[in-house]
Amino acid sequence: MKVNGERLVTETHQIARAAERESLADFRDLIESACQQHPAIDDAIRYDLKLAVDEACTNIITHGYAGMNPGSIILTLEVDPHQVVVMLADFGHAFEPSDAPAPDVQAGLEDRLMGGFGLFFIYRTMDEIRYEADEDGNRLTLVKRLQPLGTA
Amino acid sequence: MDITAKQVGSVAVVSIVGSVDALTAEQVTRFLGAELDKGNKHIVGDLSQVDFMSSAGLRAILMALKDSRQQGGDLRLGAAQPGVEKVLKMSGFTNILKTYPTVDEAVASFGS
Repeated sequence: MKVNGERLVTETHQIARAAERESLADFRDLIESACQQHPAIDDAIRYDLKLAVDEACTNIITHGYAGMNPGSIILTLEVDPHQVVVMLADFGHAFEPSDAPAPDVQAGLEDRLMGGFGLFFIYRTMDEIRYEADEDGNRLTLVKRLQPLGTA
Repeated sequence: MDITAKQVGSVAVVSIVGSVDALTAEQVTRFLGAELDKGNKHIVGDLSQVDFMSSAGLRAILMALKDSRQQGGDLRLGAAQPGVEKVLKMSGFTNILKTYPTVDEAVASFGS
């Protein structure tokens, strides 16, 4: 496939791990190793991806499988010259990310609440977030663009 | 993740090495809590070797920050790397605590 005369190469990586905190480093390590070879992905973009994936997986572990036997999280990573797409599949409770309240980043020390920053970071670092839930489980898709649209 | 502490005058410098995520943040909370329990209310968090921090790490910092100030002390951070610094800025934490480019500057800020 060619876009604007450029060959579009898409790499796909996938890992499945138990939905437990011990797996978080494995998910981040996959992002690190898969993105390291791409010159278009700098340190800042790599950190954004690791942060969004870590926070999303933490939410699945903490809330998605709450009250259930922990199942798995399947991470699929697709990298092409224009974007990185991360898909996280799990089989726990459905959760609509846009329902969660945003934290108050202006709050002073005394008014600071402990939670809410996970989703906030996902929204702040990713360009596109999609969420689907059906009888086959939940799928969260995170997209990070590698160059702004229209500037190519 | 590894944590060590050393005393520099009246300041406890707590150095964290590795990633602070939902698995390891509890260790940070306990370690900083133990320093405060020992009476070390002036604490510098040395972040020079923290390669990753999530919101779980912020939670650990926030707890220790509140506790230290309740005791009349403070928790200050030094040498945060770019990714960690971005997390501190995005969350507005740079407005509620003091951060310094180096650990030495953070220690010196206590005037000891």
